[in-house]
Amino acid sequence: MSGNVTSKQLLDHYARKVYADAAAAKAVGKPVGWSTAIVPQEFFETMDLPLVYPENHSAVISARKRALGFLERAEGYGYHADVCGYMRVNFGYLLEGARGDDDVPPAPVPDFVVCCNNYCTMIVKWYENLAKELGVPLFMIDMPYNPEGAVDEARVRYIRAQFDRLVGRLEDLTGRPFDRERFRRVMEISRENARLWKRAFELVGHVPSPANGFDFYNYLTLMVFMRGRAETTEVLRLWIREMEGKIARGEGPFRDAAEKFRIMFDGIACWPQLAHTAKAFRSYGINITGSNYPDGWAVQYETGDLDGMARAYASIANNMSLEKAVEKRVEIIRQGRCDGAVYHMNRSCKVMDFTTYEAQRRVFAETGVPYITFDGDQADPRVFVAAQFDTRIQALVEMMEAREESER
Amino acid sequence: MHTLGIDIGSASSKAVILGDNGEVAGQAVVPVGTGTTGPERALHEALRLAGIAPGDVARTVATGYGRVTWQGADRQVSEITCHARGVLHRMPEARTIIDIGGQDVKAIEVDPDRGFVRNFVMNDKCAAGTGRFLEVMARVLGLEVERLAEVSETSARTVSISSICTVFAESEVISHLSRGEPVPDVLAGIHQSVAKRVAGLVSRLGVRPPVVLTGGVAKNRGVVLALEKELRTEIRIAPSCQLTGALGAALIAREDLSKK
Amino acid sequence: MSGENRIRAILTGLAAVAARPGEAAERLKREKGKPLVGVLPYYAPEEIVHAAGMLPVGVWGGTADASMAGHYFPPFACPLVKSTLDLALRGVYDGLAAMIVPALCESLTFFGQNFRAARPGIPFVPVVHPQNRRTPEGVAYLRAEYERVRDRLAEIAGREVTAADLDRAIGVFNDHRRAMRAFLEEAPRHPSLVSPRVRHAVAKSAYYMDKADHGALVGELTGLLKSLPEESGAGKRVVVTGIMAEPEGLLDLFEEVGLEISADDLAQESRAFRTDVPDGGDPLERLARRWSLVEGCSLAFDPGKERNRILLDLVRNSGARGLVVLMIQFCDPEEMDYPLYRKELDAAGVPVLHLEVEPRMSLEQARTRLQSFAEMI
Repeated sequence: MSGNVTSKQLLDHYARKVYADAAAAKAVGKPVGWSTAIVPQEFFETMDLPLVYPENHSAVISARKRALGFLERAEGYGYHADVCGYMRVNFGYLLEGARGDDDVPPAPVPDFVVCCNNYCTMIVKWYENLAKELGVPLFMIDMPYNPEGAVDEARVRYIRAQFDRLVGRLEDLTGRPFDRERFRRVMEISRENARLWKRAFELVGHVPSPANGFDFYNYLTLMVFMRGRAETTEVLRLWIREMEGKIARGEGPFRDAAEKFRIMFDGIACWPQLAHTAKAFRSYGINITGSNYPDGWAVQYETGDLDGMARAYASIANNMSLEKAVEKRVEIIRQGRCDGAVYHMNRSCKVMDFTTYEAQRRVFAETGVPYITFDGDQADPRVFVAAQFDTRIQALVEMMEAREESER
Repeated sequence: MHTLGIDIGSASSKAVILGDNGEVAGQAVVPVGTGTTGPERALHEALRLAGIAPGDVARTVATGYGRVTWQGADRQVSEITCHARGVLHRMPEARTIIDIGGQDVKAIEVDPDRGFVRNFVMNDKCAAGTGRFLEVMARVLGLEVERLAEVSETSARTVSISSICTVFAESEVISHLSRGEPVPDVLAGIHQSVAKRVAGLVSRLGVRPPVVLTGGVAKNRGVVLALEKELRTEIRIAPSCQLTGALGAALIAREDLSKK
Repeated sequence: MSGENRIRAILTGLAAVAARPGEAAERLKREKGKPLVGVLPYYAPEEIVHAAGMLPVGVWGGTADASMAGHYFPPFACPLVKSTLDLALRGVYDGLAAMIVPALCESLTFFGQNFRAARPGIPFVPVVHPQNRRTPEGVAYLRAEYERVRDRLAEIAGREVTAADLDRAIGVFNDHRRAMRAFLEEAPRHPSLVSPRVRHAVAKSAYYMDKADHGALVGELTGLLKSLPEESGAGKRVVVTGIMAEPEGLLDLFEEVGLEISADDLAQESRAFRTDVPDGGDPLERLARRWSLVEGCSLAFDPGKERNRILLDLVRNSGARGLVVLMIQFCDPEEMDYPLYRKELDAAGVPVLHLEVEPRMSLEQARTRLQSFAEMI
């Protein structure tokens, strides 16, 4: 690689490559899978089975303002507009012939599907339907919700047994044995990538922040698609070096403006209105220096410790109690040195929304950081109302300014 | 042997009288609906045009929102069944009927072999996609509802409205106008909005041509063109498009008599 | 008392329980002198409550305006959990010894968390069912969950819960499920005595009465019905599917437009009674294995979408002319199953009516749809 390439460029390169590789694999008759976003990819990476992630696919489509046609198609088929927008876009894409174009990445029709429900239950129904409609096998890796905020022994045993069963089924699928040495190497790489991901967050928390806006939502693609690969290590290290450089030079996130306010953005991005929301933030000098969402991919465990791996995957914030959700947000606000918080009441994501009100109150009680909530959707462009968003952001700025004043 | 079909909607009342030969002897539309004098007025106007007295009516069937409470019908039949009958009487080739009323939208799949209605879907929960939506928007634009089609003809492009909710869509339209967007272009967006909403409903049913449009909004050519674009199929307008329900009711009354 | 009079007397009694469940629960507590444990839907191990010497009562929300739930939930949570949380905030459940809350869907899972935050004084007993329920590890996992539930309930009840207690409870509940199935099979033959609303009341009242008592009454009822000749029904038979047949005004509309219910696939009714606890050794393991036998429910992992076939068979075998879908608002699992079974029933030529339902819906609009459907089939 040329010495002048940036991490952003590498990211863009890999973001395209994952789809191209999947299409190429499919073309030579290699089985390609579709998977949920925080799956124990280590097993599939070890078996050389390429995975494509429909949630990422739908997010890209929505960010490029192409979601509506697919949503309408899925709704015409009988899916209610109440169900997850990512799911509707995905089914619309299938119903429209699973064709890529300039905006729509070419996700090939899968030969198998993988579902790990460590962050919601909707995906179980999504993948049930995919398996049935496409006539392909479904690998269900069940990680039961943890209502008391800890993954108990019974859950660990259950998940471990599912891991063993998965290995057997993957060996049957591919006709190849599961390479335990390679598995160790993949775990090692995954562990390092998770560590680097966490490190990146620490750096983002610097004042002023070396990362801007929805940056880490973009780098997230690597952690979703290639969490177990050396290429991700390369890009993350480069990004970290770039950020360390900026910190050393005292550079902030914006070229032409100061970082006036720092916020925690809670939830998935409002992809159809990314430009509008990002622009509104910029206009007030607001930078996003913390979010609970990308944190989900920092899956940390010791190499070779499968119990630890089971626990780590089962402990994604969405899968834990209200108390843990509050703890996580407080930690993020503190690490990000946030002045305010913006909660995305994402119509498509009931998991993230159903404890938001109580969590907000508790987080506020603990941190004193002002917050607002806005209505939007991760995929459906029809939900967001610009006037509402603009008014609320302005109100938040006024609250943050007032707090600053009073602390002077 | 005259029969009367009366369609009592929430916003209008329609009456059709069929004569001895089964042809329409008189019909009327009054722009007020259930709970008002509308039904009686429609009834009397139809009688007057038919040149008969109330006692000359052998059987009456009522339909529409107000069918259950109105006194004076021998029986009441749903507007789904009546619209299907009314449309098929004039256009026997119809397979999908879309009725855009004042406050609701229905799509009906008809199958003459099996007894008319095979399937239907309705939206009567919100104003989006109905006549009410157009009334609200017409007011914002300062136009009469009857002029909407004519004004939209001069549009150069479509200014899209993203909100599915009538209230928020109204805000969007106002903000487009205040930014100087030409009225015909905004109107094109409004028509597209109605068309998308209706098309969304119809696609749950499956579009089987020929598609026939009934209801007051069918008179708005702008909506019709937008709907043709969304559904990707030709749309035919039923003659006397507001009266198909009442016609169907009158036909059913006539059938009842022939069965006795 | 003549057979028919006794039938009416039983039905009147059960209808009274179904009409005022809160009062019925209070009466139950008084009469039996045992604490009540609230049980949220679905497939919770009620047998363990019974084995602990307490009485399980169903918690299915109410028709109240659920405005207080807005403190915790945005509008798009299902009416069942919103109204339940609203009632909880008003103190309606404060007398319960515990609240058992499964986590089968987003609404239930987070209802649990919000309930715990809203009412910390009521012991919260979560139970999280596995998706991979048919594997030995899935059964073992659920057994461990049930063991935890048993220990919590034993602690609350202040007594031990033995294997014998559990076996006895399983016997009572299996008998009850059998009695319900027998009644639901016999009911369509007597539409003038068992209207849709009455049928629903028989099922709903089960949640607010002692299972043995309810089972005995239903058994007697079925026996009496069997002694009467089958009516040559003038109505049109339909199967009903969904979570529950609420608001109850809908059931009156069924009757008004001439629709009879030949069978149901409702989570509150037949789905709760269809599957018995299997035989075996360890009662907790038997209870866990019941979950692996559940079929055709949107909440039970079903990659083969068996529900499609089950619904089609139900329509055909019960002599129904069509299916009425009571789609409760904001219910992801049911909304996700719908397009697939709809497609299959359409292909088989079975008419389907999709009705979106919620507590404050306009019955007028429902009447039009139901009437049109009745005219159509």
